[in-house]
Amino acid sequence: MTISQAAQSLRAHRLSAVELTASAIERIERLEPTLSAFITITAERALESARRADAELAAGRDRGPLHGIPIAVKDLFYTRGIATTAGSPLFEKFVPSFDATVVDRLEAAGAVMMGKLNLHELAYGITSANPHFGPVRNPWNPERSPGGSSGGSGAAVAAHMVYAAMGTDTGGSIRIPAAFCGTVGLKPTYGRVSRRGVLPLAFSLDHMGPLTRSVRDAAYVLNAIAGHDRSDDTSSRHPVVDFVPDDGCSISGLRVGFPENFYFEALDPDVESSVRGALARAESLGARITPVRVPDIAAHNAVGRIILLAEASALMEPHLHQRNHFGADVLALFDQGLLLPASDYINAQRVRRQMQREFRKIWSEVDCLITPTTPNTAPRVGDLTVSVGGRTEEVRMVTTRLVRAMNVLGLPALAMPCGLSAHGLPISLQIIGPAFEEATILRVGAALEDSGVSIPPCPIG
Amino acid sequence: MKDWRAIAKGNGIEIPAKDLSRIAAVLDALEADFRPSVKDLCPELEPAVIFQADEEVE
Repeated sequence: MTISQAAQSLRAHRLSAVELTASAIERIERLEPTLSAFITITAERALESARRADAELAAGRDRGPLHGIPIAVKDLFYTRGIATTAGSPLFEKFVPSFDATVVDRLEAAGAVMMGKLNLHELAYGITSANPHFGPVRNPWNPERSPGGSSGGSGAAVAAHMVYAAMGTDTGGSIRIPAAFCGTVGLKPTYGRVSRRGVLPLAFSLDHMGPLTRSVRDAAYVLNAIAGHDRSDDTSSRHPVVDFVPDDGCSISGLRVGFPENFYFEALDPDVESSVRGALARAESLGARITPVRVPDIAAHNAVGRIILLAEASALMEPHLHQRNHFGADVLALFDQGLLLPASDYINAQRVRRQMQREFRKIWSEVDCLITPTTPNTAPRVGDLTVSVGGRTEEVRMVTTRLVRAMNVLGLPALAMPCGLSAHGLPISLQIIGPAFEEATILRVGAALEDSGVSIPPCPIG
Repeated sequence: MKDWRAIAKGNGIEIPAKDLSRIAAVLDALEADFRPSVKDLCPELEPAVIFQADEEVE
């Protein structure tokens, strides 16, 4: 069941918010020992919210599509009175005195908060093999990684523990777990969603967005959380529209860019054929598939890594003497950031502006781009390297190869499932649009989804 | 290639030798990927970071 189906059932009195919530709690309790998707479960508080949601609906107060819908947030979002650990012992006892703006807005929209989701330590990695709170497992196959850093968010949505989960994305951390867990994941434009009250990893690269069971569900969540926040310096005043695609939305005549370089190189063959199949489907729906050459994405990735290393190490520098408080992989990244000269960081931010100007030219040729989200499917838990397209590389480098540049550019990107591999693992495509054109990429995603570009529900329990 | 050990020492950054040796090759590779992007930057290109003198105050 999607958010819109659950919302219809609530209003038709076929279900109550309390029943939806109780069912979610039962599922969480049953699957959590396998998946470790949560760090904190707030069952009692959720039931209380659900009772309030039912009472409001009965009294004629309808807060919209999220009213009474069970959701959860990555344990990086501040929640008043509830521990916010960031998946790190450094913050194990941190109990915020206020809610993140996103949490405020979701609660104002009537969503029922089920708890705080597990993640890669400090959101700094792509496996979610958290050494302090337990490794998150992939619901499609618990021997496989769920991706990260929002791994708990991907696992919880894929396993139908919640209808939607909030994630954060600094170098692919929403889209990677969405890809590996077979969910939709939306990284909105930088500035579209407030960063206030979300523990930063890298100030100028961090994005907040939803992971959901369908494209329209992602749009419902974006409707609730988008918009200017005066307490976030980087929050945009760009107008907010209704992001939910119409039923039967059309992409006829839309110019869909197919990158001739970079994005289709060195892929798992199953990934390549599924994404090409989705492009063919877009063409059959009337889209004009237009080959384009993209700027040097490998250079964008290098710039993104410099900025990430420098900003993350600056942020955590006061804590880095407590070396035993960090997992080895995360500590290695913080050490790298400490050694970079300030001039590299400044020049990376200058190159970034140049890249932004160059990439903008693409939008005179096409309305969006379709690419694979990751070159690979979910790797085995603990694998450090992976062979894809004849190359053996570090899992982290392969997995972030096609997603990191959009954090550098701040552009909106939607990951959605488009097939299963021969091993039965989800494959994902990525739809990239111009700044603040979330409505366009969601429309393309919904049209593809409506036409059958999707995967079966995750078979777990 | 940079001498990361000397850079760490010169900046008073305490990273154990075994950890330093593990990250040196990664940093060398990153430098090699990044450096070509920088060589032709024009002086008027300003960094993409935000500072507003009229910052809103709550």
